[in-house]
Amino acid sequence: MMTLIIGGSGSGKSEYAESYIASHSMGKDKYYLATMQVFDKEGRRKIERHRRLRQGKGFLTIEQPVSIAEALTQMKQGEKAVLLECMSNLVANEMFCGEKTKKADEVVEKVMHEINLLHRDVTELVIVSNNVFEDGICYDASTMEYLAALGRINERLAGQADEVIEVVVGIPLVCSTRKE
Amino acid sequence: MKLVIGGYAQGKLDYVKENYDMQDSVILDGKIEMTHVSCKKMIVNHLHSWVRSSLEQGKCPEEEIEEFLGQNPDCILISDEVGNGIVPMEPFEREYRERLGRILIRLAKRAESVERVICGIGQRIK
Repeated sequence: MMTLIIGGSGSGKSEYAESYIASHSMGKDKYYLATMQVFDKEGRRKIERHRRLRQGKGFLTIEQPVSIAEALTQMKQGEKAVLLECMSNLVANEMFCGEKTKKADEVVEKVMHEINLLHRDVTELVIVSNNVFEDGICYDASTMEYLAALGRINERLAGQADEVIEVVVGIPLVCSTRKE
Repeated sequence: MKLVIGGYAQGKLDYVKENYDMQDSVILDGKIEMTHVSCKKMIVNHLHSWVRSSLEQGKCPEEEIEEFLGQNPDCILISDEVGNGIVPMEPFEREYRERLGRILIRLAKRAESVERVICGIGQRIK
């Protein structure tokens, strides 16, 4: 099962995603794939906040800022429920981690390939992604390339997902579902 | 309290005027004069601007809104959604988006209804 949960900054998507996976992970090992890299105090505060939200919910956290499928090597055998947060950071890390900014196509193929490896091995995969597409600002070329990559990845994830949910002011809205 | 949200220039205020029984209402635009406001039919337009200026002045918008709702429990609050973009470089801009987002989540929890307006069309989401 794959679920895509999307929302803007401060939309409540993380909190929703965490409660969503909690109700879909009975009897499975729960993993939290953290993709955010921390560079400063603000980043640390953000992570602290997310940790507090997850506390007591039984997640094992794996820090995986790039090459997301490698997280599988740190998981136990058996049924797994995985929450990946957040696709927007993963895509930024993949795109800007090397000396040269990568092209959108390359990033899309790499991320989707690795997501499929993950999906194959995991019973319940919940992916949180960010709606960064509606501020109407024309950014520099590399940011536009990033938007193109993340947009295409969101589209492809939505095509594969059993359920796509948008979170707006903390309210989950089902965009599409194949569930009964 | 009812909450109406949506992107910039989506016709939220017109939508409220047309679809809610708000004739002769008082419309506050992006700011609250706490001392002398209190009436039955109250609309706060551009709530996001209020949050922004409150933060700019180093105040606590959460507390101000709380106080306002205490006096005007039946108001309609209209706000832009501002979180659906690239994370801004400027720390204050990031803080503003986060705070407004969290404020709207809390207001949505309390609201008797939440509508999202796009192209002048309202969609009831709560």
